[in-house]
Amino acid sequence: MPVSVSPTSSTIARLGCAVALLGIVLVSGTAQAGSMSDGIKAYKPFIAENIGKAIAGAKAMQAAVKAGDLKAAQDAWIKSRKGWEVMEPVTGVYFGEFDKTIDPWPNAKIGYHAIEAVLFAAKKTDGLDQPIAEMLANMDKFEKKLNDKTSAFDPQKLLEGTANLAYEVGEEKSGGGESPFAGTSIIDMQENVEGIEVAWKLVFADTLKKKDAKLAGLIEERIGNLEKLVGVADIKSMDAKKVHVGGEELAALMLQAAPKLGLKDFKVGDEDDEGAEKTK
Amino acid sequence: MRTGPIRATVAAGFIGLAMSVTAATATPVVSKDAALPIGSELNEQLLNQPTELFAFDRAGGKRFYLFNLGDMLFSSSSIFGGKAADAGMSCNSCHQQGANNNKLFVPGLSARPGTFDTNGALFNAKADNGVFDPVTVPSLRGSKYLAPYGHDGRIASLREFIRNVIVNEFAGPEPSGQVLDALVTYVNEISFLPNEKMTSDGHLTVKASDAARRGEALFNKPFRTNASMSCATCHQADAAFIDRKVHDIGTGGYFKTKTLINAKYNAPYFHDGRFDTFDEVVGYFDQHYDLGLSPSEQSDLVAYLDTIGDADTPFTPNTVQAEVDELTAFASVLDVAIPARDKDVIRLAVDSVGVEWREVGEKFPDRRDTSVDGGLAERLKARASVRDLVLTLRRVAMAAEADDFVEAARLYDRYKKLVVAATPRLQLAEPWSLYNPRVHERHFAALRRLSELAK
Repeated sequence: MPVSVSPTSSTIARLGCAVALLGIVLVSGTAQAGSMSDGIKAYKPFIAENIGKAIAGAKAMQAAVKAGDLKAAQDAWIKSRKGWEVMEPVTGVYFGEFDKTIDPWPNAKIGYHAIEAVLFAAKKTDGLDQPIAEMLANMDKFEKKLNDKTSAFDPQKLLEGTANLAYEVGEEKSGGGESPFAGTSIIDMQENVEGIEVAWKLVFADTLKKKDAKLAGLIEERIGNLEKLVGVADIKSMDAKKVHVGGEELAALMLQAAPKLGLKDFKVGDEDDEGAEKTK
Repeated sequence: MRTGPIRATVAAGFIGLAMSVTAATATPVVSKDAALPIGSELNEQLLNQPTELFAFDRAGGKRFYLFNLGDMLFSSSSIFGGKAADAGMSCNSCHQQGANNNKLFVPGLSARPGTFDTNGALFNAKADNGVFDPVTVPSLRGSKYLAPYGHDGRIASLREFIRNVIVNEFAGPEPSGQVLDALVTYVNEISFLPNEKMTSDGHLTVKASDAARRGEALFNKPFRTNASMSCATCHQADAAFIDRKVHDIGTGGYFKTKTLINAKYNAPYFHDGRFDTFDEVVGYFDQHYDLGLSPSEQSDLVAYLDTIGDADTPFTPNTVQAEVDELTAFASVLDVAIPARDKDVIRLAVDSVGVEWREVGEKFPDRRDTSVDGGLAERLKARASVRDLVLTLRRVAMAAEADDFVEAARLYDRYKKLVVAATPRLQLAEPWSLYNPRVHERHFAALRRLSELAK
């Protein structure tokens, strides 16, 4: 698959797994090489890899908590969270029932932030066995659903999830962002932007280039811009206003791209009623 | 979000059912990654907001461009710089709906809630006067009658005062003439609230209590230690209860006479906010001027202050309709700015209105907010509708930046239609939103539990 834009080294690493699975296509260079359906096939292993990372981090955190090793538990929480955040183009639109148990907000009983508050703010490892076990159980269910042979992503919903994440990257961060107790919100954002970049380049970029090279260029430029803006040490060092505008511009451009990609017009963040009812 | 009395009444429906629920307070800043210090409280999530009334309302007029621009800018962090902009603060953060924010607290800048050191280094190192001297955040009601400005009356002109706030206190860029004109226009329009217990020239009406009448007599009675003085010497009833002078009343310097109109809602009192109640204020004056007031006389004087400081409708509930009305007024500056190809105002409007819409959207919790039951489909539709508005507005700005004002006008027209279409969707989801006091309380209780866990 010709990922012809200039991905960053981290993106190359992230794309590695997915691209390897498309090896034959890359070699043959067929007309289908850059199709959205090929990209979608390659995207599933990327998610599989990252739910694996989220689970591995959570297991390491579980062991560290049992051992009473606060520093190791904090490090493992961050590792697990990175795996989760990079999957956000799909966590809401495909895995909403797990999103609300793994990453609820505000919730002091279950999920990443209940654990985060204890590990990073209270600086304790007490009382975390249950929430970690519960989170792991939900991550396992997530993984099982992903690995189900009948489960598959489709370009429409993936674009919706990706545009939605671009919008959310621009959310107001003055309160400390998504991980306020750990102070690692900038890592969340970096992973979010990586997630956007991987989804875009793997699935949509080449098709749009053929249909509207100018719009494709604008989207790539905005993704690169966001990547630079969040490539800082912490939220306080980030130009939040530029991230806000950049996120909105990217989401707006992705909306414009939908019909050119042969997809339906959509509203960012719109989830079908059926999906909402299921997760009530 | 800022509401007007009429708008708030329109949609009080289900809110009324839940008004008995105690309004939850927001939680203070908990993150070291936050723009403001841990423990800061901006008190932004108000269910009932100070009522806002404008001079043109009272005169039977209608909103106009410069006023709308000023209203929008008053709520925009885009005119500030540095930490204030990072924190998303605006004029409205301190002067909520033009009234004071008596819960505002920023560690290092506030001595107590409702006070703030505007000459501290946190927001602008260049403005630091080297002294920790927080003062109360004043209400801006009736500002046009209350010159000179500042607690010590150091600035004669409202325009100069506003510029000083933007540039020096909050490190913003030098504002354009248009920005200053708009903000001055807006602030000058902020009116005192009507009070049926008082005439326009400061006398009590038949609605006032006997205690208040006795208090009025005491208010005008010469001090026993100085017959040339009474409370009314400085607080002149027919002049908005001020004398436009500064006085030393034993609180550490010369400070401006404060208006007593609507002052019931302006606590804490005195320039440094040292008193929370009129009882304490009256007690202080009794002691400082050796007035020799009996307990019942003090009580009567408090009743008088309470009466002239009252308002018929001091607070109004915030609702979806109020938000839509206000943001429609804010965005209406584009009616003028797009044909005028005024990129600065277009940018300001898109950024400011977009941020406000995002805040509206966040009042409809998504599925990750497990403190809220029911209405998920409605909430998600509401959120998506708001996001659609934000992104359509963003496209207006993108088109204008590309000098395509025809496209900008087309998109703005589309935005207006989308607002009309979105409003019923937002109202449909309103019972499961943070506009509902019960939902609001559950959401903030969950936040507080998380904060407790972090201790």
